[in-house]
Amino acid sequence: MSYPSAYQEAIESLNQEVSRAQPSDILQFCANFFAQRLEGERADLLAGPHSKPPAMSGSAFPGRFGANSNPFGDGEKLGSAGGISNVIEEEETDTVESPAAPNFSFGAGGSFSSPFSGDGAGQGPPSSFKPAADGFPDQYGMGRRTSVSAESLNPTASSNDNWSPPFHQKTLEQLTRLRKSISGNFLFNHLDDDQSSQILGALVEKPIPAKDIKVITQGDQGDFFYVVEKGTFDVYVNPAGEFQPGPNGLGTKVATIESGGSFGELALMYNAPRAATVMSAEASCLLWALDRITFRRILMDSTFQRRRLYESFLEEVPLLASLTKYERSKIADALETQKYPAGTTIIKEGDAGEAFYLLESGEAEAFKSGNPAAVYQYKKGGYFGELALLNDAPRAASVISKTEVKVATLGKDGFQRLLGPVESIMRRTKYETGVEDIDPLSTK
Amino acid sequence: MKSVSRMATTALQKTTHPHLHSHSDSSSASTPSSSSQNNNTMASALQEKEFVAQFAEPHTPLPPQEIQTRQRSQDLGHSSRNLSVKDFELVRTLGTGTFARVWLVRLSNPAEQDRDKVFALKVLRKVEVIKLKQVDHVNHERSVLADVAGHPFITTLITSFSDHDSLYMLLDYCPGGEVFSYLRKAKRFDENTSRFYAAEIVLIIEFLHEREGVAYRDLKPENLLLDAEGHIKLVDFGFAKRLGNRETYTLCGTPEYLAPEVIQSKGHTTAVDWWALGILIYEFLTGYPPFWHQNPIEIYKQIVSKPVHFPSEPYTSPEAQDIIRQFCTVDRSHRLGNVQGGAAAVKAHPFFRGVYWDDVYYRKYRGPIIPPVRYLGDAQCFDTYPDEKHGRDVYTHELVKKWDHYFEDF
Ligand SMILES: Nc1ncnc2c1ncn2[C@@H]1O[C@H](COP(=O)(O)OP(=O)(O)OP(=O)(O)O)[C@@H](O)[C@H]1O
Ligand SMILES: [Mg+2]
Repeated sequence: MSYPSAYQEAIESLNQEVSRAQPSDILQFCANFFAQRLEGERADLLAGPHSKPPAMSGSAFPGRFGANSNPFGDGEKLGSAGGISNVIEEEETDTVESPAAPNFSFGAGGSFSSPFSGDGAGQGPPSSFKPAADGFPDQYGMGRRTSVSAESLNPTASSNDNWSPPFHQKTLEQLTRLRKSISGNFLFNHLDDDQSSQILGALVEKPIPAKDIKVITQGDQGDFFYVVEKGTFDVYVNPAGEFQPGPNGLGTKVATIESGGSFGELALMYNAPRAATVMSAEASCLLWALDRITFRRILMDSTFQRRRLYESFLEEVPLLASLTKYERSKIADALETQKYPAGTTIIKEGDAGEAFYLLESGEAEAFKSGNPAAVYQYKKGGYFGELALLNDAPRAASVISKTEVKVATLGKDGFQRLLGPVESIMRRTKYETGVEDIDPLSTK
Repeated sequence: MKSVSRMATTALQKTTHPHLHSHSDSSSASTPSSSSQNNNTMASALQEKEFVAQFAEPHTPLPPQEIQTRQRSQDLGHSSRNLSVKDFELVRTLGTGTFARVWLVRLSNPAEQDRDKVFALKVLRKVEVIKLKQVDHVNHERSVLADVAGHPFITTLITSFSDHDSLYMLLDYCPGGEVFSYLRKAKRFDENTSRFYAAEIVLIIEFLHEREGVAYRDLKPENLLLDAEGHIKLVDFGFAKRLGNRETYTLCGTPEYLAPEVIQSKGHTTAVDWWALGILIYEFLTGYPPFWHQNPIEIYKQIVSKPVHFPSEPYTSPEAQDIIRQFCTVDRSHRLGNVQGGAAAVKAHPFFRGVYWDDVYYRKYRGPIIPPVRYLGDAQCFDTYPDEKHGRDVYTHELVKKWDHYFEDF
């Protein structure tokens, strides 16, 4: 067996360094050695295209502390041995004692005194804080922020319960109205067709027969989102943060919601106290209601299934056979779904190839010029155009949808952004399966 | 030899490893008199307490690739069968969150040499955990923390235990307090200070994502503590989760720091931590996060639709603006950290030009803020908190029957 000569050189100089320095932590020493060589080589490459990798300079190794400038600004780094107890003695502990704040203090007037003035030895410039300038948004709440969380859900496909979303029949007009009401909402506007029709189906009718019925109450836990189908509702906010018993318990009226409007969307994200009370302003109102668990499960299950589907499709693409699971899931994450009606030319012979496609549903055919018969048929799970990931060669055939199709697609640039050049991925394992046998697009 | 390996051998010789108890228990089963059983348990309790008392941060951090394999790290983070809250004296509250209260504690009846030793004890009430539907999350928290014990910038889980009502996690005490407190006092950090903390956090994220496959999911200044030397310690692994090549779906985090894909339930991955790092650097530099509003819904609307905007004052360098924008990219196939190269690409960004990453890891750079810690158990860097509210929910017999087996790992 023989090693590349550059490798042998590298190992020899490492040997020399090791026998010279006799390090106790061998791995770390080697890691440092190579990291530094790499650094040097890169710097040289940047300096000029024709310069050679630098020879190891013995004196520059292994210690390199102190010489370089510090990107963190305070002038010097700690020596490798010392600097452990840089604890500073707070001299004026009795300056500010606020119950809500830690009792370290800053000097007045925007310049900071101990304990932030540099290091324990007292040398160096004062701390790197900038004094506060104007332009600080004063409405911003400066308090500690606590976290929020929804209940943890696991995708249906990965557990053994058979959940399917509730379905409540609606008329075409009702559906159109509902679609319009939620289409601008940031929680719904990115859904695909299947997801939105499941969501619309899941909305359930909630009649509000009388005036002055509280649908949601400020301060209560919230689980539902509502769309107004019929009637009007008033929104009240009590400055105390929750509805209170007594005459002025509602607080002040801040808004009115009419047919087509909606409220309570935060409840679709997590369980949080309601920010307002919403009450019917007239008799016989009608609402559509959607609860968080249903909403989240619909989105989760469909996304989960689509991802697994894409991953299984990707596994079948020989060009990408050497991708790790992690890489496949990254690609699946980036794939975009597109729908085409029957008869659409998805890729065209002679065009520059820029994206590759997985056929998610429907059928498509490949045609070559001068040949009226299809040269290849694609079914669900089929893929085409993947050579575009590899080179810029023109498409060797056209692919036309035979039925309505749904494809998942990713461009070459997207692929490279995520995983780097395909060539290097292919080089990992020998690319054995001849593309030519499978893909008519490859035969020029 | 390094102190690290010395620690490891002592721990081994003394078999204080909580994990080994099942071992010693079963071997003593050959003489099954009830008194010897008892002795055995008492001995184990003593050994466990001694293990706790002996805990000390190593002088030199273990290299990241050895954190999981070294004996010392393996000894840490196990669940203890014999320790109880009675073995500790609760000194004061260090912090509270949605789910937990964290106490500064001392050993009760300490040996002479252990008198000044202090720890942080995170206490979660089982009823609260159940009510807030965080059962999965606390189990993830315990197991992820146990796996990462030994990383220089992550708080160490020494051990965990439980009693009828509560779950306990014993952590190394980080005396410097929250980066949050320093940030609010200072209004904002300059770029060098911000870069220093950001660099240490990059190493944490790299380790969690690329070595452990863990998404952290709650990055914010409140969860960044400082140790006595002013280096970062990341706490609160309440939402940390091992992902194993898959996306996950449970919405969690802190409103201002949520990534768009979390808000829109698209399934999220470790990429959410890079988004949050962008928000964090922004907040360091300006003093407030890029998207904020009193009403969380308004925050979420901005996050999913608005680009990050930089105020004219204070000045932020083009490098800082660029790295923030690259982190806070809605399209994950463009987001720095998630694209090719992963953390290495982050480290190579011009914002970090001149940073020697090994030196960051081995704590060779001096912290920009040296916390005013006067002695081991000094807690002056922490805010004070009101006492716990009374009239809390009871962990009833029914709840115990339904839920307690979910907590058996503690
Ligand atoms: N090891 C520690 N040493 C010192 N203080 C700590 C330690 N761990 C936590 N704290 C303090 O306690 C506070 C709350 O702890 P933590 O964030 O773990 O609780 P939580 O209830 O999960 O919070 P959240 O609302 O963010 O989910 C922290 O912000 C910090 O101030
Ligand atoms: Mg917290």
